[in-house]
Amino acid sequence: MVSVPSAGRVQQHISAIASGFLGDWLEHRGNPLAVPMTVFADGEALDLQNPQPAAPGSVLCLSIHGLMELESVWDFPAKPDEHYGSHLANTLGDTSALKLRFNTGRPIYRNGQDLAALLERLVSNWPVPVKRIVLIGHSMGGLVIRSACHYGAANDHRWASLNPDCVYIGSPHDGSWLAVGAHKAAGWLNRVPRDYLKVVGEVIDLRSEGIRNLSRGDAFEPGTSDQPLLHGARHYVISGLLARGERHPVNVLFGDALVHQSSARGDRREGWELAGIASFPGVDHIRLAHHPLVSQQLQEWLE
Amino acid sequence: MKGPDNNTQWWLGVAELLAQGMHHGAVKLKRVHLSIADESFRVLDAIPATRPGSRLVRVCHHGIARVSYDSVSLAGRVIAEGAASAGARLAMRRQDMTET
Repeated sequence: MVSVPSAGRVQQHISAIASGFLGDWLEHRGNPLAVPMTVFADGEALDLQNPQPAAPGSVLCLSIHGLMELESVWDFPAKPDEHYGSHLANTLGDTSALKLRFNTGRPIYRNGQDLAALLERLVSNWPVPVKRIVLIGHSMGGLVIRSACHYGAANDHRWASLNPDCVYIGSPHDGSWLAVGAHKAAGWLNRVPRDYLKVVGEVIDLRSEGIRNLSRGDAFEPGTSDQPLLHGARHYVISGLLARGERHPVNVLFGDALVHQSSARGDRREGWELAGIASFPGVDHIRLAHHPLVSQQLQEWLE
Repeated sequence: MKGPDNNTQWWLGVAELLAQGMHHGAVKLKRVHLSIADESFRVLDAIPATRPGSRLVRVCHHGIARVSYDSVSLAGRVIAEGAASAGARLAMRRQDMTET
């Protein structure tokens, strides 16, 4: 049987894509296509002032999607109720599997600031005392986690002192080759003394701040120096590769299709102490968000 | 996306986005069209035999093109502003209803 997405679902995907491309502009205009930051439990949006999930656990596992995605990116194909969070909840017990939806076109640092504040409200108002937090970020979601950890610690948030487990799945800590390419192409076209080429450069330049941040993996406010990983937290990195052979030329050129392995591991960042690193050759960027092997690895690390 | 008003607001958002695309797209297309046309007119201008005629044609061509693209751009802008203000009014009405 072929599953047909509902009109509401199609609208949500259109909003997510529009937000990814032009989210900062949509937000500035007050356009309803701009996706608001929302936490979901079992597919239902939570009221942060009074969150009432079906079975609140003392462990919060929040999954954060990437650019132009929705929280549905985490769902296993043909198993919409299964995702990394639900698998971890089964393994750990007393765990609430939550998912975040947000406007991916906004600057990453602003999403990080909002996520830090959201986590603080969530932990404060959660029906039972929160003992542990697991944050899982796919692609841009990983940069948002790094940003939120920095702002959470800077503002003495309670959740940041719980030493969260942070998992970065295919996150471009040193930038994505595609975003770098768009940045360079726009710069080159804007310098050419032909108006019809400059227009192409200007169209590329319309991309959102969120996309621009991906060219260097910028997760903090402009003018802020690079910040270390949250001290006390455990940080895990997962990367994918298009081809099965690790040294295959396709992997060298494109990594997991959008992010190189070195960028996913933050090789250019200094002083990173990672609790775990895993690579999955043959698993591309999108499939990293819902792959059985990745789920197995997460359970090994986090149980 | 729940409720008829929410859905109307969403479609007004789509209308605003598309109309803004039409507004800015027309301006950019005008620049592409005129700059590509100028490449040909520059060649014709370099040839003494075609220079006087080409200059007249260029003025007419650019004038007509500017009026056409600017009309489309203006229409896009009007629709975008209309959709944005209708969306804002709807949002305010919903807020008033929630408060009362």
